[in-house]
Amino acid sequence: MHFQLTDEQRALRDAARSYLRDRFGPRQVRALYEDPDSDGVPAPLWQALGEQGWLAVLVPEEHDGIGLGLLDAAVLAREFGAGTVPGPWLGTILVGEALRLAGSPEQQATHLPDLAAGGVRGAVALLRPGWFPSPAGAPASARDGVLSGRLDLVDYPSTADLLVVAAQDGLYLVDPAAAGVTVSPVDALDRTTRLGTVLLDGARGEKLPGSTPAVVQDLLDRAAVLVANDLVGIARKAVTDTVEYDKTRVQFGRPVGSFQALKHSLADLHIGVTFAEHAATYSAHAADVDAPDRQLAASIAKSKAADVSRDATGAMIQFHGGIGYTWEHDTHFYFKRSKRLEAAYGDAAQHRERVARLLVDQAPDSPAVSAVGSEMSAGVA
Amino acid sequence: MDLRHSEKDEQFRAEFRAWLDASLPQEMRRPEFWADLSEEESFQTRRTWEKGKAQDGFAGIAWPTEYGGRGGTPTMKAIYDEEMARVGAPSTVNALGLAFLAPTVMALGTEEQKRSIIGPLLHCDVIWCQGFSEPGAGSDLAALQMRAEPQGEEYLLNGQKIWTTNAMHGDRIFTLARTSTSDGGKRHAGMSMLLVDMHQPGVESRPLKQMTGASEFGEVFFTDATCPRSDVLGGEGNGWATAMLLLSFERGSSAIGQYTEFRRQWDDVVDVARALDRDGRPAAQDPVLRQSLAAALVELECLKYHSWHVLTQTTQGRDLGFEASMTKIMWSETFRRVSDSYEAVLGTAFGVPELGSGLRLEELTSLAMWSRSCTIWGGSQQVQRTVVAERVLGLPR
Ligand SMILES: Cc1cc2nc3c(=O)[nH]c(=O)nc-3n(C[C@H](O)[C@H](O)[C@H](O)COP(=O)(O)OP(=O)(O)OC[C@H]3O[C@@H](n4cnc5c(N)ncnc54)[C@H](O)[C@@H]3O)c2cc1C
Repeated sequence: MHFQLTDEQRALRDAARSYLRDRFGPRQVRALYEDPDSDGVPAPLWQALGEQGWLAVLVPEEHDGIGLGLLDAAVLAREFGAGTVPGPWLGTILVGEALRLAGSPEQQATHLPDLAAGGVRGAVALLRPGWFPSPAGAPASARDGVLSGRLDLVDYPSTADLLVVAAQDGLYLVDPAAAGVTVSPVDALDRTTRLGTVLLDGARGEKLPGSTPAVVQDLLDRAAVLVANDLVGIARKAVTDTVEYDKTRVQFGRPVGSFQALKHSLADLHIGVTFAEHAATYSAHAADVDAPDRQLAASIAKSKAADVSRDATGAMIQFHGGIGYTWEHDTHFYFKRSKRLEAAYGDAAQHRERVARLLVDQAPDSPAVSAVGSEMSAGVA
Repeated sequence: MDLRHSEKDEQFRAEFRAWLDASLPQEMRRPEFWADLSEEESFQTRRTWEKGKAQDGFAGIAWPTEYGGRGGTPTMKAIYDEEMARVGAPSTVNALGLAFLAPTVMALGTEEQKRSIIGPLLHCDVIWCQGFSEPGAGSDLAALQMRAEPQGEEYLLNGQKIWTTNAMHGDRIFTLARTSTSDGGKRHAGMSMLLVDMHQPGVESRPLKQMTGASEFGEVFFTDATCPRSDVLGGEGNGWATAMLLLSFERGSSAIGQYTEFRRQWDDVVDVARALDRDGRPAAQDPVLRQSLAAALVELECLKYHSWHVLTQTTQGRDLGFEASMTKIMWSETFRRVSDSYEAVLGTAFGVPELGSGLRLEELTSLAMWSRSCTIWGGSQQVQRTVVAERVLGLPR
């Protein structure tokens, strides 16, 4: 029984952590927040993501990638959350995953090497904002390879070189520069992303031939798992920084962290974040080994991470007092990023509803049900 | 990441499963069986079954064989807990002895104590009580008043313990008493952990009725009761340190047994929700109740992941230290979440013995009530949170 990261995964985590500490810390995040003209993709950061192989983790080796698993990507997502890292890392990873899971060999050969190297930036529109995380929430409609629809709240569409769009019959590759595609930016409160609306009006799409509803669902789950890991990174950082601040801030002649009201809240948050970390880790592992309960695990992770990150980033502001409400302090980076991600690819309540569909509605002997609790004996490796 | 157990550990599972198949009567796996027994009958039935289990070698799983244990791995203990919960095997009648006393004896006891205490405890020949709490000393254990005056080769005990689990069934009690007058402000000084025979004229047990109607705990009065001076655990005057070590053992458990038990409870609650009407459809279709059920399930599965984490650490020989306090909070809060959703599902029917469909509810209802106690005993939730805040997060006192 090893429910823990491997040495290699820990090394990957440490590499990302030290890169962010030395090269892209809160100062750089702040600079981005305060630069009205930035496209939201700091060039040195993006270049480093490519050079370090952090865009290539999931790309198979035959396409110049590293061919690791979702857990390895999750390790990075968690660090990127903790560092409120900007840029279209997630979109690029998800375009790669769409191609890997559903693309033809030609499509894979054409795009995956560039995506892995950072030469091509990806963006995805897989789900209508607010919709239940299933293929039925596809935002576009397709007829004979021609796409139409309004894709709202897409991450980084303005800087994207390649889009993956979900339509009612599957996934399409779309060139954002093609005729019939209009991208217009939308102001985002969280300046570690750049949002936009993509209007498709008779745009040509290239179907990913393997994109069955099951594959689209898988892609949505992978997105949810990565976002859950980002949220868990945010939440852990929020708790850690708050504890450190409350150890030193003195009121009534003593550190405020000595007051039991704060202690108990922080203890609960620590426990909640610990649970969410486990869930985020397991959900990625479950995808990697195709565990029978992988869908359940994704929904558990996303709902728990969203709730905990909401609580932790809210507490971070509250337990810093007035300074926590200022622009000068970093609290708002975490709070705003958390807000954006809490509902991405299904909010906590939707994922709980999915848990209910999987376990309350299905017959007791269906695979999703019997999977739970049997991993230990069945030997999921 | 590899969630498989070793082949040896899995072999143990197969062996224990086979034993359970053969040795746990079908009727005992049904909650109704226990609901229909009196408290006394239930205790004796469990005691007899547990004795047989020990005789067949399935007790003290991870304890050394020289003292009557099985000599297994921590993982085997976790598997044992899981399998016991999976089939709904009767819970132990010697919980406090097993969880607290035995590991403390193993760590601090004399060779003579190890030999005389562990075997009879495992075989339920001696039922142990824990005599810590007093009317004036609960969370603040150091406020305890019970006195044990050295008189020649014996101590003379006077005082009262309360909330003593198994007070009416206990043969011996490990109890904390003041063996010397503590000087000035040192509240923790002068205490000793004594191992006292409960079958003597100076010891009187009285049952206390719990909110469930049962009397699993009671009061124990000591009036010039005696205890040989050799029956001190951990040395005279070291009672506080001994007690702290003793209480730390419970925290080291992986909680996989609790997970398995509460997961069964959740499955049963879902069955109830499928059978109950809410607004003309099954309660299981009600959107608010679904949220409550699913939220409890999320906590449950997180508890399982955490138990894997604990098992991983202990298997690698790491001591979780105070981090282990979290495990108690986690499982007891999770238990409450499941129980809360049960209560919400039942609504006005909470507390009725069965539904029209013939579904019996006594066990689920008493579990729901029992969940209320688990955030109190063994260090209340508030006390544990303070421990986590100070010892794990490092917040100042
Ligand atoms: C089912 C059951 C079985 C038990 N079995 C045994 C047994 O076998 N042997 C034994 O010795 N004892 C046993 N106990 C007793 C148990 O250990 C105590 O009830 C527990 O330690 C709490 O003490 P108390 O009841 O005096 O509550 P109190 O300490 O009076 O607590 C009252 C409330 O105040 C809170 N509180 C207390 N101190 C603080 C603080 N510093 N900060 C914040 N909040 C605080 C508590 O959390 C609680 O909510 C049992 C209890 C139960 C319910």
